[in-house]
Amino acid sequence: MLRRLQYWLQRRDREQSLREEMELHLAEKAAELQSDGMSPAEATLEARRQFGNVGIKHEEAREIWMTRFLSELVQDIRYGLRTMLANKAFSALAVLSLALGIGANTTIYSLMESVLLRSLPVQEPESLAVLNWHSEPPQTADKQWVHVVHGIQGRFWPGDKGTLMSGIFPYPTLDAMRDPAIFTSLFGYFDGHNRNFGVRGYATSVPSEFVTGEYFHGLGVTPAAGRFITPEDDRPNATPVAVISYATSQNRFGGPANAIGQPVLIDNTPFTVVGVAPPEFFGVEPARTPDLYLPLRTILLLDGPIAAKSFHDENFYWLEMMGRLRPGVTIAQAQAAMGPRFHQWVSTTAKSEGERAKLPQLKLNPGVTGLGGLRRYYAKPLYVLLAMVGLILAIACANIANLLLARAAARRREIAVRLSLGAGRLRVIRQLLTESVLLASLGGILGALFAIWGIQALTVLFGAGEENFTLRAELNWNVLAITAGLSILCGLFFGLAPALQATRAEVLPGLQAARSSGGRHNIQSLLVVAQIAMSFVILVAAGLFVRTLNNLHSVQLGYSRENILLFTLNARQAGHRESELATFYADLNRRFASIPGVNSASLAQSSIVSAGFHGNAVHSAMKIGSTTLADVKSIAAGPNYLATMQIPLLAGRDLAERDHAAAPPVAIITERLARTYFGSENPIGRRIHLPDVKKDLEIVGVSANLRYGGIKTQEGSLVVFVPAAQFTPDRVTYALRTLGDPLRFANTVQEIVRNADSRLPVTNVLTQAAEIDRTISRELTFAKLCTGFALLALLTACVGVYGTMSYTVARQASEIGIRMALGAQRQAVVWMILRRVLILAAVALAISIPTAVAGFRVIRSLLFQTQPGDPATLALAGVVLLMAAALAAYAPARRASRIDPLVALRQD
Amino acid sequence: MGRKPQKNDSLPGSLDMLILRTLSLRELHGYGIVQYLQQSSDNELLVEEGSLYPALQRLELNGWIEGAWGVTSSNRRARIYKITPAGRKQLAVETRKYARLTLAIARVMGEA
Repeated sequence: MLRRLQYWLQRRDREQSLREEMELHLAEKAAELQSDGMSPAEATLEARRQFGNVGIKHEEAREIWMTRFLSELVQDIRYGLRTMLANKAFSALAVLSLALGIGANTTIYSLMESVLLRSLPVQEPESLAVLNWHSEPPQTADKQWVHVVHGIQGRFWPGDKGTLMSGIFPYPTLDAMRDPAIFTSLFGYFDGHNRNFGVRGYATSVPSEFVTGEYFHGLGVTPAAGRFITPEDDRPNATPVAVISYATSQNRFGGPANAIGQPVLIDNTPFTVVGVAPPEFFGVEPARTPDLYLPLRTILLLDGPIAAKSFHDENFYWLEMMGRLRPGVTIAQAQAAMGPRFHQWVSTTAKSEGERAKLPQLKLNPGVTGLGGLRRYYAKPLYVLLAMVGLILAIACANIANLLLARAAARRREIAVRLSLGAGRLRVIRQLLTESVLLASLGGILGALFAIWGIQALTVLFGAGEENFTLRAELNWNVLAITAGLSILCGLFFGLAPALQATRAEVLPGLQAARSSGGRHNIQSLLVVAQIAMSFVILVAAGLFVRTLNNLHSVQLGYSRENILLFTLNARQAGHRESELATFYADLNRRFASIPGVNSASLAQSSIVSAGFHGNAVHSAMKIGSTTLADVKSIAAGPNYLATMQIPLLAGRDLAERDHAAAPPVAIITERLARTYFGSENPIGRRIHLPDVKKDLEIVGVSANLRYGGIKTQEGSLVVFVPAAQFTPDRVTYALRTLGDPLRFANTVQEIVRNADSRLPVTNVLTQAAEIDRTISRELTFAKLCTGFALLALLTACVGVYGTMSYTVARQASEIGIRMALGAQRQAVVWMILRRVLILAAVALAISIPTAVAGFRVIRSLLFQTQPGDPATLALAGVVLLMAAALAAYAPARRASRIDPLVALRQD
Repeated sequence: MGRKPQKNDSLPGSLDMLILRTLSLRELHGYGIVQYLQQSSDNELLVEEGSLYPALQRLELNGWIEGAWGVTSSNRRARIYKITPAGRKQLAVETRKYARLTLAIARVMGEA
């Protein structure tokens, strides 16, 4: 090998000497022949004839030193670049669209990998199993909740056939499910949401995770510094310790080592930092990124009596669990062993026959990629996006194919010339292939750049949407290689076919008839039809998602979206006592209301759009007379809440300062609630009875209907507003109705809060509009991406149309010339070309409309108030596509109309 | 076009052997080798002359022969090749192989 390299380095000298040797050989041969009586000229010819093809022999010899391949490659690439330059516009567009296709594919796949496929950054994630359960729906036909699950903190999601699925369990399950024959370790964890995290007098609000003592050991993670939480830390009366994320150690302590042993205040409770998680570790759910890991039992310390009540309750479901399977135990074996075990345990918790009738059943799922929250939410959209970018790549590949086909046809003459001059057939084929691969590689390189840029853009796009959501997407080189490989393959395929055909051609006809061949033309038309059909599908998809977004935006919320600043405080976590919480919040509210430029200020336990996610204000059943209110939501709100939110008041009064803690309890109900339970009677002055807390709420007002807890929810939710002072929530979200841009007031607000209590971080500062958009961030992101991709697809397809038509015009120049010589009008020529494109487009539409309508049934669940076969969207997409195609064909058509008959006819 | 020289020979690889054999007797330049092969075989062996040079390159790359610029008997500048010790070993190997092969062919032909 070394010798070969050496040979290659000396290749110029070697080539020279080889040539000299061969010359000498020919000369001596000629001399010998001459001495045998031949004329000098004959002798030279005969010498050459006997020698064989000097060029090829020369190349064969060079090939032996391997230089031939390399030098020819360089030649071919140079030649390829030159021919590409000769056809600048189309080559550039084809490469560009290919690059965009490759870039988009790589970006989306990288995103998908980070969200759906990447393994947890822990030891042997393959042997982790997540514990889930599923059961019959908990509600009976008359909406009574009958289930062993009496209370939850966590999530349910719909399973197959109307079942209920979840991954949360009561704490006692953990011990019940321990089985050393199946799990080497079994651990639990609980999303602790944001906590007040004070370091040296400065507090921030950071996401937390409560974990059992075996969590870190079970996951097999090594700390970046210090030690992890152990079972000893998770005992009653253990010293409170905390493990912090790597990023937090850097931001707050200046490095992992500095953090160890530091005292910190978590919700105003002293903890000691004992360890720092490694930088790549983010817990077990890719959607969450806890900055604090706390022993599970410290939740009793932080959340007090509420947590104490549910901690050991065998009917309160809250703890998520994961186990590490013993080596050699499969998930199926574990399922077979643990299923009955769970059944037996859970049946002891049933309190009635009704509950026993629909006990939850255990389901073990692979834990390799962590929990499924993000996956469930994003899997479908991501597959749709992946399908889209796949189609875009196909359209781009069709462009490359088109380019190569057109070029091969145009170069038949050139190839024939080269063959007749003695070029080896393989040599010509290889040269053509090099050109196609060159195109594809250029696309690949640019594609990589686009992908890097795209991932950055996507990270921003997604980061803006979700709270505490960090997109950990990295450029996936495998994907890049696959897409680039695909494009090269495409280049090879479409480069090879014409190359073979061109070189097979008899030399003479090739030289004589430069232009011809209808078959290739058909392939090109086919490609254009395919391109248009594919871009139509993408256009329709984008249209549907944009429509969905529009529908979401035009939803009647029942409250104001604009000019409201929202921010959240949790004074309880900062150390305020229950008794003074209400006055503290009320005082602050008065200060906010007095900011110049703030029209009115109020507070509630959360924003309306995210209401319900932080619990209801009223923890009791509600009764009017003897009727229990079903499906009623409650929200604790401050004075002037309806006015601040601009919720119309239909009767009675708004909440006010006078509804303080000592005043008689009151409530405002929505119109729908009033209609449902009071009919046409006037509800003002009537009472809602709370039997569990032995209170009566007097109804003082009726508000218009509104959407509670989201914007896809029912239009008229049954909502009860109660005074925040009387049902004090721990955290409150203030709402300031402002003049002009609400965010202008953010600094003033921060200042007021800092003056009131420096330990109290202001979180989630954003406008009401942004808060609302956050609940539809998936749809928002999705619509933006789809629109982008649709544009890309449209442009790519237009490049195809343009290229094909340009080629057609060039090929038919003489025909067009004849037509014009015979008196055809310019418009007629333009129309002739346009008509061709429009026919192709029409064929494409005829194919793709039924496909789109049928295929889009799978995305129905992603749409809102629109149907996969929405005629308006289909029509719009069709019109856009036809116009784009006509536009793309117009330039070549115009060129056709300017053909000078004399020049065109002389060309052949 | 593009055929390898070996494919043209009745016995694969025999050109290499013939060249090595020729060079084991004396140092020669390319044309000299062709001439020698033709003369010593009474013009029975017709080497495709052009194929000689790729073969020479291959043998040199394998380290079996060495080429150096010199002057021919007719006083012209030429690359003169000589066999190396490794080349002699290779020649021995090929000769044995050739002997076995021809013997085998002879047997077959004899029985036929």
